[in-house]
Amino acid sequence: MSPATFTLEVIVENKPLARDPEGETIHHNLILKGGYSQVTSVRAGKLLRMKVEARSSEEAEQLVRKLCDDLRIYNPASHICQVRVLS
Amino acid sequence: MTRPIIEERLSLTLVEVQKPNLTDEEVQYAIQTLQREPNEVEWAMLEAQWSEHCSYKSSKPLLKQLPSKGTKVLVGPGFDAGVIDVGDGWVVTLHIESHNHPSAIDPYGGAATGVGGVVRDILSLGSRPVALLDPLRFGSIESSHSRWLFDNVVRGIADYGNCIGVPTVGGEVEFDPSFERNCLVDVVCVGLGRKDKLVLGEARNPGDLVYLVGGRTGRDGIRGASFASKTLADKSDTERSAVQVPDPFTKKLIIEAILEAVEANILRGMKDLGGGGLTCGLAEIAAKAGTGIEVDLSKIQTREPNMLPAEVMISESQERMILLIREEDERELVNILEKWELSFAKIGHVTKDGLLTIRWGNEIVAKAPAKFVAEAPFATRSAVRPRYLDVLAEVPEPALPEDLGQTLIELLSSPNIASKEWIYRQYDHEVGIRTIIKPGQADSALLCLPNKRSLALTTDGNSKQCYVDPYWGTMGVVSEALCNLVASGAEPVAVVDHLQYGDPGNPEVYWTFKEAIRAISNYLKALSVPCIGGKVSFYNEDSTSRKAIKPSPVIAALGLVEPKTPRILQALRKEENDLIVIGNTSDEMGGSEYYEHIHKLAGGRVPRVNLKKERTLLRSLLRTLRSGRVESIHDVSKGGLAVALAEMSVQGRKGVTVDLDKVPNKTSRMDNLLFSESRSRFILETKPMNTTRIVNSFKRLGIPASKVGSVSDNGIEFLAKGQAMLTIPMAEASRAWSEAIPAAMEATI
Repeated sequence: MSPATFTLEVIVENKPLARDPEGETIHHNLILKGGYSQVTSVRAGKLLRMKVEARSSEEAEQLVRKLCDDLRIYNPASHICQVRVLS
Repeated sequence: MTRPIIEERLSLTLVEVQKPNLTDEEVQYAIQTLQREPNEVEWAMLEAQWSEHCSYKSSKPLLKQLPSKGTKVLVGPGFDAGVIDVGDGWVVTLHIESHNHPSAIDPYGGAATGVGGVVRDILSLGSRPVALLDPLRFGSIESSHSRWLFDNVVRGIADYGNCIGVPTVGGEVEFDPSFERNCLVDVVCVGLGRKDKLVLGEARNPGDLVYLVGGRTGRDGIRGASFASKTLADKSDTERSAVQVPDPFTKKLIIEAILEAVEANILRGMKDLGGGGLTCGLAEIAAKAGTGIEVDLSKIQTREPNMLPAEVMISESQERMILLIREEDERELVNILEKWELSFAKIGHVTKDGLLTIRWGNEIVAKAPAKFVAEAPFATRSAVRPRYLDVLAEVPEPALPEDLGQTLIELLSSPNIASKEWIYRQYDHEVGIRTIIKPGQADSALLCLPNKRSLALTTDGNSKQCYVDPYWGTMGVVSEALCNLVASGAEPVAVVDHLQYGDPGNPEVYWTFKEAIRAISNYLKALSVPCIGGKVSFYNEDSTSRKAIKPSPVIAALGLVEPKTPRILQALRKEENDLIVIGNTSDEMGGSEYYEHIHKLAGGRVPRVNLKKERTLLRSLLRTLRSGRVESIHDVSKGGLAVALAEMSVQGRKGVTVDLDKVPNKTSRMDNLLFSESRSRFILETKPMNTTRIVNSFKRLGIPASKVGSVSDNGIEFLAKGQAMLTIPMAEASRAWSEAIPAAMEATI
């Protein structure tokens, strides 16, 4: 099978039970003060969109997971990291 | 509203809490004192408060040896920070903290929250944080893991300090393989306040209201105190809440709100919540004053649903303070807190009964004497002199390098010696516009005070020497700190110490700890300088090798510079000026950068300090500096005479020509003369017309001093027996010294 280009997204955010001062600030100072009281929580994070050459989407996902671990794109002590294949 | 505690779904945390992490003796002591088995909330509280981190149970009896009194000392050890009277109604507060274990697993967040913690200590005395200094220790810079820690720790400190508007004015860094897995991240904070506005961490007045202010309480940091008292193991990576998320902007609001309340004279007591959380804060504030406190935990704003009383009591959520106020000042406090948009809760009041009474609504969930909770039984530790010290003392001398010029270049590019600009250029060191002498310019940083005096600050450590000789190595650290202050024209006023060691249950580790305290105590007593606070961090060891870090006492010292004292930097100023060396150079190569970096050799005789001479020397040097007859000055430390001269030369972009035969010394080899790290030595640049006078003023007191050469427009040149012995061009020295750390940090992972 010849390599194809896949688009993947890496989302890094603080662990669900850890604090997220950036999200809290957006929620409190922008959204709630702007009158959108229906919004009950905001979490901020970091998104990396990568184009990867691979033979399959599984291979692309594995590669990106590995690089996130090896290169410390996130810190497992404080973050969760999701990898998803867009196309 | 009552809350069914027993029926609550057991969280993982509670299951862990049910097995108190206490020794059998502590469990017995607790049961005997209370005359009953403590309940699960009480066990959790005791576990947190009696951890090494909060209780100092292994170190307190020894720490009492340190002198802590002085005419300028207003508040000494035992409070959140020491307080020094700097005159005209102004006080300076000083404290040191570390965040070693959190930084080892999350270097960015760990270092940032470390800054946050010590800033809160300074704030809780009612003083404004005005400066930070950061002593750091990492494994070899060749290791990618160490570089990752180093890079993120520096960014964490820089970002946090910048956000809260406190300058980072100094620090030091040491690289040694023993810190590979367990880096040491210390933070010193200095505060400025008014004497009549000081607030103490004491609940002196029964009836006062207890307010909890700042961040909401979550499960993060639960078991943090006991976590710090446990040896780092790999599973730390999965402990979900051991590391806090830094929130510097909330901290900035807390700083401003608290200082506004201080200004309004409504705070009757204050305590920051750090390790041990609410348990530690309430127990200590009550125990100090012999009072009690009653609180209702259901009033506390939590960030997660269904938090258990035990969890609330030991949560270490950041950015929280306890404030004590009179009932009639309640409206004023609330107005201030609302103005700064801080969340707060009135959680209880001070009582006369000496008890900590913890309620959840109407139900009492814990009740114990505050003194009993606050004061853990001392742990008895045995101390045995490590056998490896004999081996280290006997190491054979290395072969003399063929090209000593090349050796000097290699030393200048050793990360322990090379310019630290890569670090401090990331820090904001001028915010607040008090910084007079910036990082890298002199042996201490200088800040101006509102009363025309200025404040000299420095921090020092030397784990390599402390490993080879725990006593003399530690004394060398204190000596260097004081020499740094005096070299900046300051009179030493006080120090704080931070003692970082492995497991205190290991008698060899504990022996090195005892030796350090003995050394600090002897030095400070001889020089009449008090130790006004400090910190102890045990259990610093490598999870993989189980080896303890090298003993790492760190000293932060504070001095006062009288008005009109000339500002003297390290950089050489003018060709034709003379160079004077003060102090004697001996064959003291143990733990030197020359042995360790060039010869990969640990061992040898560590530099010693003659206390009587040291006192005379520092007094006399201060007088000389005040006279205005010194153009530049540098103390001789890492890398010895050759490195100190090269640093002055590179910074001033001037050459030096030095006749080594004229250097006062008792060395047996040329390399020892160049690179020995003998203590209590300085290099002074003077105008030729002042040289004889200065040299004689030291000689008269029995202190070796000699004109050794002069400033030139050439490179760095050392002569011996009338011949050029070592010559290196300025550009080469400059490149080696300036580019070593940036080049190492650009290396690919």
